[in-house]
Amino acid sequence: MLTSLQKAIELILTGNRELGNILLVTARMCLASSLISLLIGAPVGIWLGAAEFPGRRIFVVIFRTLMGMPPVVCGLLMYMLFSGVGPFRKYKLLFTVTIMVIAQVVLITPLVIANMETYVSSLAQTVKETAKGLDFGFWKTLLLLANECVYPLFSTYLLAFARSVAEVGAVSMVGGAIAWKTNVMTTAIMLYTNRGDFTLGVALGIILIAISLLVNIAVTVMQRRLSR
Amino acid sequence: MRIGACKKTYGRRVVLNCPEMFYEPGLIYAVAGPNGSGKSTYAKIAAGVIRPDGNVKVTDGKEVVRYMPQKSFPFRMSVEKNILLFGGDRKRAEMLMEALGLAELKKQSAAVLSGGETAKMALARVLMRPCDLLILDEPAAAMEMEAAVRTESLIDEYRRECGCAVLLVTHDLSQARRMADEALFFFRGELREHGKADQVLRHPEKEETRRFLDFYGGRITEG
Amino acid sequence: MKKLLSRLMAGALVTGMITGTAVSAVSAAESTVTSAAESMAEVSTVILKEADDNMINTYSLLAVNPDAPFVDADGNPVSDVTLNTAGAEALIDWFLSEEAMTLAAEYGQEEYGDSLFYLLEGAPVFEGEIAPASEETSVIRLSTTTSVNDSGLLGALLPVFESEYGYTVEVQSAGTGKAIAAAKDGNADLILVHAKSQEEEFVDGGFSYVLPGFESERLSFLYNYFVLCGPSDDPAGVKDCESVLDAFAAIADGKYPFISRGDGSGTHTKELSLWPEALGITDAPESFADYTDWYTSANAGMGACLVMAEEMGAYILTDKATFLTFQANGGNM
Repeated sequence: MLTSLQKAIELILTGNRELGNILLVTARMCLASSLISLLIGAPVGIWLGAAEFPGRRIFVVIFRTLMGMPPVVCGLLMYMLFSGVGPFRKYKLLFTVTIMVIAQVVLITPLVIANMETYVSSLAQTVKETAKGLDFGFWKTLLLLANECVYPLFSTYLLAFARSVAEVGAVSMVGGAIAWKTNVMTTAIMLYTNRGDFTLGVALGIILIAISLLVNIAVTVMQRRLSR
Repeated sequence: MRIGACKKTYGRRVVLNCPEMFYEPGLIYAVAGPNGSGKSTYAKIAAGVIRPDGNVKVTDGKEVVRYMPQKSFPFRMSVEKNILLFGGDRKRAEMLMEALGLAELKKQSAAVLSGGETAKMALARVLMRPCDLLILDEPAAAMEMEAAVRTESLIDEYRRECGCAVLLVTHDLSQARRMADEALFFFRGELREHGKADQVLRHPEKEETRRFLDFYGGRITEG
Repeated sequence: MKKLLSRLMAGALVTGMITGTAVSAVSAAESTVTSAAESMAEVSTVILKEADDNMINTYSLLAVNPDAPFVDADGNPVSDVTLNTAGAEALIDWFLSEEAMTLAAEYGQEEYGDSLFYLLEGAPVFEGEIAPASEETSVIRLSTTTSVNDSGLLGALLPVFESEYGYTVEVQSAGTGKAIAAAKDGNADLILVHAKSQEEEFVDGGFSYVLPGFESERLSFLYNYFVLCGPSDDPAGVKDCESVLDAFAAIADGKYPFISRGDGSGTHTKELSLWPEALGITDAPESFADYTDWYTSANAGMGACLVMAEEMGAYILTDKATFLTFQANGGNM
């Protein structure tokens, strides 16, 4: 562990070019997939938590099930769709960052939806009663409900980011861990581990955790500022 | 002000079955009854928060109904903003906050209020604009005696100003006796008794009403 | 495990000392680090058998045929698969040029003091002009096995090719089975693999073709040996065995612990061919159900398997490059 820590510090200080590229690709992928998932998932989750229609429970169960989808299965599905012989071959997306983001969005959006749904449904009833009692219409009620979601939105984002940055099954499948192109932190750790170079693997792991820590601190500070 | 006949069942259990009622503008109606008698359900249906069986419309839709639920939601903003939601008369807000003893709390986040303070804020919020029918579900349940009495004069003032009918769902018989012009007594989802407040709350006709009054502190304790 | 524990304890000791203010404490801590580092550099797993003809490992290049009978997941034919055939041809031509062959044969001498790959005698040689990259042909997708990529050979060779001819080679490495499957799915322009039977199947299926100037679809050009490793005290005595086949028989006879990749990789395929036939060990889990007291099917990468072997004092078949990296890292976790 000590040698790994030493190596991690060394890697950062010497400005290793490949590591720089891996970090860049990781950042691009994680930010894109977590933000897109949040943009799609949060409105759907809020709506699902607040709406009343027959079959709502079925949707909730579906999203909760999708939340447990193994990343490899998601990766495999995307691989088959976008592979050279797959139905979407003409888009030529396999082994690109774009397809990694798409796979992660498919993986993470249900998580965002289910998380927001759980939160919203716990307070939707009282909020709606109160708003209706004050003679507010649909849009004002929705606005009030959305305002209640600011705090959990940040926690949900962190969850999405954590899932994205830690995920390896789907991204290695559709990204192929190609050096200088689609190799991210997790796939790089896998490669080094398989190569028997545990020191470098753990070093990357330490950097990964450090980045996660920084992101968590930043988002938590923002959460406290904005939701006061 | 008309509230149509309505029925509400959950599964096989009938929680409410009430005939069509007419409420005179300017009068206060106490809605009394033991737990589970259907009085809150009635308030919710009249307020349009839940739909009765068969999805029938109970109001004509022209009148403005304002309703304060038993558990009003404190929105994640300051007390003042909660009361002034989507704009409102600042002076009136100041007056209400002053009257309810919220003036010192006005910049505070509503999320940290106590149960009684939240109820006061919710009452101020619902009294901000005029309406045709005001429905209050246990507005003073969480307040101390002194504050509860103060809310009574506010409610009284409000109905005089805008000439609305008031449905006051309450456990507190002394409050009902002090405020109400008429009273409704619910038991097991049925409207059992309806008439002048004095009569229903002091000299009821029905056996269930009598038993309820006995249980809640005697029939003739209040002057 | 014991090693890991002692290392953690050393770490705790160091942290404790560094947080102290005295400078002398820090320097003392540093000396602890070095001694800990020295002690962990010892790997008790050593090479016991190598350079045995039964463990030869031949690497071949195959260009993917643009007119191959590609099918989609439901078995329907797919005709419009896009491949960079010109790029694949250029890269194969270069791999078989004198420049690349020399680089490959020298690879590893500097770092490990020993070549990791040898030139195959009678390998096809390309002497013509190599086409430089054009806009459409500049990206080449090479699907290869982990052992090739992990040895660092491609990392040493490809930059030379890329800078000289303007191509970008996207290397995608997986177990041999998966690497070939990727090509069958139209996701690679060429493959570099080391499993003869699977390569022949690929050719027979029409997925490869003969490039101009060559005689065969399978262009074998490098080889090396798998090595049989195990604890240095060698309880099964494989060192003294005549051949690797006898060594495997000795391990099985004495039921000495053995770690198998168990993942359908080239190394796994090779290992399966070395057990005495009577045992009937194949890649099917039932085939070794009776041997689980000594035979561990890890279903993991080479590095992870080596750690396992080191911890358990087990025998293991590995490619030499990964073992040397493992050894150089002191079996470090």
